[in-house]
Amino acid sequence: MSFKSFKLLRLVVVVILGILVTWAAANGNPWIPIPAVIAATIILLLFRRGVKEVIVDERTFSIAYKASRVAFVIFGVGAVTIGTTLLALGKAGQPDLKPIGFTLSYSICALVLIYSIAYSYYNRKFGGKE
Amino acid sequence: MPSARINNRIRRLRFDHDEMTQEELASRVGCTRQTIIALEQGKYVPSIELAFKIARAFAVTLEEVFQYEE
Repeated sequence: MSFKSFKLLRLVVVVILGILVTWAAANGNPWIPIPAVIAATIILLLFRRGVKEVIVDERTFSIAYKASRVAFVIFGVGAVTIGTTLLALGKAGQPDLKPIGFTLSYSICALVLIYSIAYSYYNRKFGGKE
Repeated sequence: MPSARINNRIRRLRFDHDEMTQEELASRVGCTRQTIIALEQGKYVPSIELAFKIARAFAVTLEEVFQYEE
């Protein structure tokens, strides 16, 4: 299978998945979305195996690495700024904003923790001191 | 810190090898055509592994493909 055909099939699968999930949400059916997402993932993985061309290479990884770094920094700075602002506003008489502030603050803590663990793992893997 | 640049002769070498297409080179070295395009435009510097693969695809040494300029 060529990469072009794969992209077309991927689009079809995503559209069908979108229709199914929307239909399930509109009808209040919670049992369709999860199996549909799992089935779509499996189908896409099978299609991808059939592609003979190289889809992902070192340049793609390099781009993904740089994009993740930028996303990490933007999300980090944004979440800290907005989170602390919301917490301050929460203390200043708008208690509804407090939970959002806490959620943002904890999510950035979790992100930094996951980053630290992943960094430590790859540092050891690639010869860093323990 | 002085800026350094890695130039390459991939386009020239492709033409010298029976006008090998970017697609064919990409398939020989196991990367995407977009990577070959980026290399030829000097927008991307390959890993040592990919550089060796490209040199071997043309049956030349690494320095005949890539030149390091300070």
